[in-house]
Amino acid sequence: MMEGEGILHETDSSLGGKGLRYAAILREVSKSFKNMKALRNLTLKVPQGKVFGLIGPNGAGKTTTLRILATLVRHDSGYVEVLGMELPKMRVEVRKRIAYLPEDAGLYGRLTGWENLLYYAMIYAGKRRAEEVAMKGAEISGLSEEDLNRKAHEYSKGMSRRVAIARALMLEADLTILDEPTSGLDVVSSYSIRETIKDYVKRTGKAVIFTSHNLLEVEEVCDEVALIHQGRILDSGSASSLKSNYRARNLEEVFIKALGLAEA
Amino acid sequence: MLYAVIWKELRDISRDYKTLAVIALLPLVMMPLMSMASIYVQKAQTGYAYVVDEDHGEGCVGSTCISSEEIAEIIKKTLLSHGFVILDHPGKEILDIKVVIPRGFSHNATSLNATAEIIIYQNVASSKAQEGIAAVNSVLNDLTRRLAEAKIRLLGKKAGIYVNPGSILDPLSLKPLYVNPEGQSVSYKEAFQVTLARILSFSLIFVTTPSIAYITDSIVGEKERKTFEALLATPLPRWSIILGKAVSTSLIGLVTGVSDAVGLILFFTIPSLTYGINMLSFLTPQLVGTHFLAVYLSVVASLAMILPIIIRSGSYRSAQTFSLIIIGGASTIFFMSLYADLSNLQAPLMYILYLIPYTHAVEMIRATVLNHYLNALLHVLYIMAIISALMWVSLELFSEEKIIYSRT
Repeated sequence: MMEGEGILHETDSSLGGKGLRYAAILREVSKSFKNMKALRNLTLKVPQGKVFGLIGPNGAGKTTTLRILATLVRHDSGYVEVLGMELPKMRVEVRKRIAYLPEDAGLYGRLTGWENLLYYAMIYAGKRRAEEVAMKGAEISGLSEEDLNRKAHEYSKGMSRRVAIARALMLEADLTILDEPTSGLDVVSSYSIRETIKDYVKRTGKAVIFTSHNLLEVEEVCDEVALIHQGRILDSGSASSLKSNYRARNLEEVFIKALGLAEA
Repeated sequence: MLYAVIWKELRDISRDYKTLAVIALLPLVMMPLMSMASIYVQKAQTGYAYVVDEDHGEGCVGSTCISSEEIAEIIKKTLLSHGFVILDHPGKEILDIKVVIPRGFSHNATSLNATAEIIIYQNVASSKAQEGIAAVNSVLNDLTRRLAEAKIRLLGKKAGIYVNPGSILDPLSLKPLYVNPEGQSVSYKEAFQVTLARILSFSLIFVTTPSIAYITDSIVGEKERKTFEALLATPLPRWSIILGKAVSTSLIGLVTGVSDAVGLILFFTIPSLTYGINMLSFLTPQLVGTHFLAVYLSVVASLAMILPIIIRSGSYRSAQTFSLIIIGGASTIFFMSLYADLSNLQAPLMYILYLIPYTHAVEMIRATVLNHYLNALLHVLYIMAIISALMWVSLELFSEEKIIYSRT
């Protein structure tokens, strides 16, 4: 079978990507950096209209996977498709339809929160529609007008993260990629961000891929989860089905048991 | 999309008040400082001198008479006018120079078969001593001339012939006249403008280095503040990221261009006020305008030269270090321009230098003072072509993966 042949069966290119079952598909994807293998034949399907969680320990390959989906890193082998478009061939088109928030993504400190939103709105929506899009961002951020008019270097970490997430979500991209959006935040800020993401998916029906070390958080936010370890997917499914399959009380136990099986 | 990058960069740059102030103020401070330094520093230095007359003698050559006491007084007055303190008796002060008129000086100086000498002890650690020696020398040159003329007249009288002392002392002389490269006569003012062009070219060194901070910050700073990765995943074309940053950073070139042009006017105002010579008359609108353009293009060229390095740099520190090495190395052009006409260098060396954009900034100024406006325009085109080529190299080196994974 030719590379990508099966993918056409799973997608529906005649719908121009709108009727896709999967927002992203990775099949047998490998990626190495010098002597380090980051991904080893990784296969993954990110469903449309859902929050998809990618969980795993540090160095498991989560960020590399997200960076491949975000068109920033080229895979060495395998097949990658985002919104029905093959990567890296169609990376320019893909960039127009995704939004990406890297781990610890910062804001432009000398710009106000509002200007940070407006900058990305201009990039994606053009000068004419920028204000309208940025207004959405302002709403998603939940920050007051006064706070949005302050320079970003004056913000707390929580406020910065809220603006950064709003900057990604206001675009209403077909696939939003969030790498550990709540890492290092306090309970209240984390809760608020989780609610924002859930509301967003419910309201727009767009796909979100999300990573976190907090498995309880993933269980609460994500409709589907994939467990990643040493560059491979150990298992995937809904949190409830995974718990049931592994006879576990929570995702932490699922992960430990899946890891044990993999190493056995 | 280019608009968005320029919009953001201009906001970012214009709010970095401290760096902007340094960039704007540096030429405004440095240029007048250079001017003042050249005039005042030597004069402001205090030197200590001691003049001893051990001869206490007098002598005559024909009707020209000298006395060692009188010569000592002239030397003292001359040294005083050069900022020396003349000591009556050497005390605890460290002497810069000691001038001794030895015994027998007057006799030997007025003799037809001996030579006289004045002894100067100079403190090797003193830069002021050099100025003192030059001052004493000027007195002795004048005295030597007077005595030589008197001796020639005396010998002529004894021989019974008419002798013109000038024809014996200066049988040959040099008469400098100024011409332009086309061989047409030019005035002293026009000749001085060529020297001025060298100074102006040298002054460009002050505008290229500070701009490194902005250029580095606009790329490596973004990476370190973790704003670059998200930006790279946007639909912004890579050329618009590079060009947007380049266009915005050239604002720094405009700021430094204005600042340097004002600094230049101050550079010439200070000697004008000090000596009453209208140095400002040497500045023509064409020269100020070309200087402004040379400053602007030099800053943009600095950006273009270091951009390929910055794009591949892992950290702010390594980007700054490599940038300083490149800009520092290229800036030797400005030093060279003080001593050599770059366009007159031998073929291989000249072609190598022509690849460095600063060479054309220097040549632009030189061509303008020589009224070779077409040539100046050609150098503008050269520098713009090199800038474009370097931008293209940066674009080719642009790799998201290398930017993300380079060590910070």
